[in-house]
Amino acid sequence: MRFIHTADWQLGKPFGRFQPEVRVALADARLDVVDTIGRLAVSSGTKHVLVAGDVFDSDGPEDRVLVQALSRMARHTCQWWLLPGNHDAARTGGLWDRIRSKGVHNVRVLTEPTAIEMEPGVWLLPAPLQLRHQLEDPTVAFDRMETPGARLRIGLGHGSIRDFSMRGETRNQIAADRARQSKLDYLALGDWHGVLQIDGRTWYAGTPEADGFQRNDPGQVLLVELDPQREPVVTPHRTGKFQWLQREWRLQDDADFLARWQALQREVDPSSTLLQLTLTGIVGLADRVSIIGRLESEARHILRYLDLRADDLSGQPTDEDLAALHVEGMLGVAADKLKAKIAVGGVQAALAKRALERLYVEAQRGRDGI
Amino acid sequence: MSLKIRRVALTNFRKFREPLVIEGLGDGLNILIEPNEAGKSTLLEGLRAGFFVRHATRSQLAQSFMPHGESVAPEIEVGFDIKNESWTLSKRFMKGARLEVQGPGFRAQGDDAEAKLQSLLGFARDTSQKGDPNTSGALGLLWVAQADALHVTPPGNLVRDSVTATLEAEVGTIMGGPAFDRVRSRVDAEYASYWTPTGRPASKLAEAQAKEQALHAAMSEAAARLAGLEQNYTALENAQGRMKTLMRELADPSDAETRRALASSLDIGRAAAQILATRKAEQVTAHTKLLGLEELSTRHIAANAAVEAGRQALTAAQAARVDSAGELTLSRTRAEEARGSLAIARAQRLQAREALSLGEKHEAGRKRRIAADAARIRGAQLLRLEGDYSEAKSLSQTLIPAEIMTALEVGDRAIAEARAAIDAGATELELTGAADGLEIDGKVFMPGTRRITQETQITLPGGAVLTVRPPAGPASAAAKLLQATDRQNAILTRFGVEDLGSARARNETAREAAAQMRVLRAQIDGVAVAVPEINLVAGPEALKLFIANLPEALDTEDQDDGPALESLKRALEDVEAAVARAEGVQESAIASLRQLEERDALLAASEAGGSRDLANAEANFKELQSRPELADLTSLLTAAREAHAVASVRLSEAEVAATAHDQGAITRKIEAIDARARAAAERHTELLQEIARLGATIETEGGKGLADRAQAAKEEAEAATLACQRMTDEAETIKLLRQTLEEARAETAQAFVGPVAKRAKRYIDRILPNADLAFGEDLALQAIARSGVSEQTGQLSRGTQEQLAMLTRLAFADMLLEQGNPVSLILDDPLVYSDDGRLEAMTDLLLEASERMQVILLTCRDRAFRHLPGKRVLISHGNGS
Repeated sequence: MRFIHTADWQLGKPFGRFQPEVRVALADARLDVVDTIGRLAVSSGTKHVLVAGDVFDSDGPEDRVLVQALSRMARHTCQWWLLPGNHDAARTGGLWDRIRSKGVHNVRVLTEPTAIEMEPGVWLLPAPLQLRHQLEDPTVAFDRMETPGARLRIGLGHGSIRDFSMRGETRNQIAADRARQSKLDYLALGDWHGVLQIDGRTWYAGTPEADGFQRNDPGQVLLVELDPQREPVVTPHRTGKFQWLQREWRLQDDADFLARWQALQREVDPSSTLLQLTLTGIVGLADRVSIIGRLESEARHILRYLDLRADDLSGQPTDEDLAALHVEGMLGVAADKLKAKIAVGGVQAALAKRALERLYVEAQRGRDGI
Repeated sequence: MSLKIRRVALTNFRKFREPLVIEGLGDGLNILIEPNEAGKSTLLEGLRAGFFVRHATRSQLAQSFMPHGESVAPEIEVGFDIKNESWTLSKRFMKGARLEVQGPGFRAQGDDAEAKLQSLLGFARDTSQKGDPNTSGALGLLWVAQADALHVTPPGNLVRDSVTATLEAEVGTIMGGPAFDRVRSRVDAEYASYWTPTGRPASKLAEAQAKEQALHAAMSEAAARLAGLEQNYTALENAQGRMKTLMRELADPSDAETRRALASSLDIGRAAAQILATRKAEQVTAHTKLLGLEELSTRHIAANAAVEAGRQALTAAQAARVDSAGELTLSRTRAEEARGSLAIARAQRLQAREALSLGEKHEAGRKRRIAADAARIRGAQLLRLEGDYSEAKSLSQTLIPAEIMTALEVGDRAIAEARAAIDAGATELELTGAADGLEIDGKVFMPGTRRITQETQITLPGGAVLTVRPPAGPASAAAKLLQATDRQNAILTRFGVEDLGSARARNETAREAAAQMRVLRAQIDGVAVAVPEINLVAGPEALKLFIANLPEALDTEDQDDGPALESLKRALEDVEAAVARAEGVQESAIASLRQLEERDALLAASEAGGSRDLANAEANFKELQSRPELADLTSLLTAAREAHAVASVRLSEAEVAATAHDQGAITRKIEAIDARARAAAERHTELLQEIARLGATIETEGGKGLADRAQAAKEEAEAATLACQRMTDEAETIKLLRQTLEEARAETAQAFVGPVAKRAKRYIDRILPNADLAFGEDLALQAIARSGVSEQTGQLSRGTQEQLAMLTRLAFADMLLEQGNPVSLILDDPLVYSDDGRLEAMTDLLLEASERMQVILLTCRDRAFRHLPGKRVLISHGNGS
């Protein structure tokens, strides 16, 4: 018995802080990944795709998103098992009724905590979330479910096994040994956006298409093979289109930056890369201007998206920088004044730092320009 | 580098149609002394026009060069040396405007020539209408027109830049510079895109802020819509929960069972109520019977008592009646007696009244008699008085009228005067001795004195006749006398008096008689008074008539006085008092009688009432006595009481039973159960509707992606906030940078002030020793301090201001000269306000300056400057060279 374990599709996620074109690309990628999974199912001879919650980003997605998702699922021959998660909880008269009313034959909606026989002797025990936040463990219901003649018992749940402090989730807590307690052959979980193995029979599949700057290995689905006689065989498959990278570079100078930037470009496909770059360190004022200039005028356009955080990259004017300004007399006086403000510290210091940098840029521009 | 003007020629310039020329100007000091209106200022103006005003301009300034009211083209020619090389310029304005500049190996026209001039002399193109002195550079500062010389003004940009350039090495920094200007202008431009001139957010920043606000508003709206949907979800869940509860309630059988039990107890209740009604009727019957018997018993006892009481009352009434009758008789007797006494008293009073009436009649008669007697006496008096009156009246009528008296007096005076006149004019003849034979007017002329008034003939004894003719006067006087005497006598005769004296005496008598008449009239009036007792009215005629009719003798009976009137009155008063007393007695008797009669009437009524009551009581008693129950009343009462007690007990039992099965309460309970069922059914319908409505709403709204939209709006708003923050940071950065640049500029500018002051001080010490100079950032001399007292230059005396203006110019000229600028000093009528001492100091300084540069002094004051060595030049009118 084999199936694909996936979760946290979060279709319809708005990405409101991005520019419109990036937003559209990200949204489209999330829908495209359904096709990717469908194709993988077919190519790997898998009949079932278990989606462990958060299929949609909210319990009231736009009809366009809903119809897109269902029509893409309908294209593939596998059976899709959809579990309501905290983002798309199974509320009365909500999303799931709308899905049911579309009547897509290969999509099964698991809004009730009732065991279903997927195949003869293979029982699926779903733990749907009825509310966004449930205080009790939703998988407790497994113990009340009848699975007569079960050869394999597969649990499907959504929530945190432990306190993923990074995300601050403390609700929808699932017992860490649920698989053992409820005698499950496999517990397919969703909510943690990266692939994560809890024990031999308990896995998080993570989101198949990353949706944020995280370090938890997203963008994959799990191909699971079950045999009553042995431990499950779980194989991750990469499905994601976009890479969300977080990088923090402590820089020495412009050359240092250039080397790293070139290395990164070799390492990734820039057009499908979203980069959150944090720069730290102390460099010369000229270097800082050059680094920021390069990032703004080059990197920002090469990458799909650049989230640049350069506040901690200090540009200290070198003696040369200052000498260049002093040649100009009054510019030198202004630079000294700003330096004095920086030395005092406080709120004005940050501003003065920027002003000094700006002064340098403007003076430089004149010198280069004319 | 020195600039030397050699020749200036103006044609058609201002009011000078004919050429106005100065030439042969030397290297050092040149002095042009000409009277007013000779064209000195016009020369300077022309020089400025030649260099600084573009030939092709039609600005107001250029138009002002044309002679007033004429359309001819002003022309200027200038010959000058720079770096010992000779140049000429020839400029024409307005019609056929042109410029030509020639120098060693150079010749240009038009704009090229303008450019050459600008680079040669260091000034800038002036595009203003009225001429901008700032563009004229060093020469603008040093070619000082009359009006400009009086104030200490800051040098223009060009001069400042030159001066600061001169001082840069000394100060150790540079002022401005292209890099600074570039940075400054870019920063200013950027500042303007973030901030308004007053420092409020402008375009870019304001847009970012507005966008942020708009997105936040959109976020709130999206969140509100989502919240609305969430509310619908919650409402739907609530409705479904209520529906579940309701269905449970509807399925609950307990209400139906309760209702059945209540229905059966309602039947029992109805039966109990019937029994209660019967028991109530029975109890009422028993009670009524008991009451009847008790009442009979009570009435019987009461009737018996009433008979007894009636008897006693009647007896008492009758006794009282007897007493009352005795008193009544006595009282009646007294009343009768009183009436008798009163009748007697009244008869006496009648008699007394008649007596008094008679007495009064007698009295009246007596009084009339006395009055008549008095009238008779007064009548006699009256007759006497009237006689006197008549006499006085005839006397008074002899009065001679006043005008006659006047005439008499006049006449008397005339007679006297005439006599006097005769006496005065008469001729006196005196004859003494023997005068025999002497006749006068035929008569013997007797010795003695004689007066004659008319021609008199004296016959002398000789027969001679001596005619004496006195003057004519006495003769006419005699005639007058005669006439006056006649008239007087006529009047006297008419009034029957002898002379004036007797006339006066008669008038006196007549006046006294008139006075006497008034006295007599008063006396007559006093006598003839009215006497009402005898019907006599006032007036003498009435009195006379009364006396005429009066009988001689009056009624003698009335002469007797009869009884005295006073005693009669007293008698009547006594009798009146007696009557009053008798009336009082009678009234009292009658009142007493009436009282007794009233009491007696009451007693009689009481007696009658008592006997009637007794009769009633007896009849009542008799009627009761005849009742059959009375025979066995006691045993009947006992039986009735027992029957009533039994009925009461049974009634209360029935009441308990009826209360236990209260139909009202049971019905209410049943109704409550029914109402609950009905309400549940209604609620069910309502909930079905509500669930359907909410379901439909959720279905509609749920497909709109409200949560996604809200999330998107939130993220957009956050992004906008970040963007806005970034922009604000950027804007603040630019603001700070701009401010810092300005501070740097101001600070640097301040660094140049010192060296400028140092140079100026060298000159200013010559007129104001030991003064401290305060220069502004714009290199204008702002104040001087002497002995620690600081004075703004604008506050100084006009002369000092003018001198300081020239001295600072000299200082700048030196600095410009150091810089290698072409420098030349032209002063138009300078130092007009200077005292002799200062003037000398100033001219010394000018002389010194003329060693370093060309100085041209234009003045109308020959005396002030004539001692100066230097080249004299004259204005010539004509084409010259």
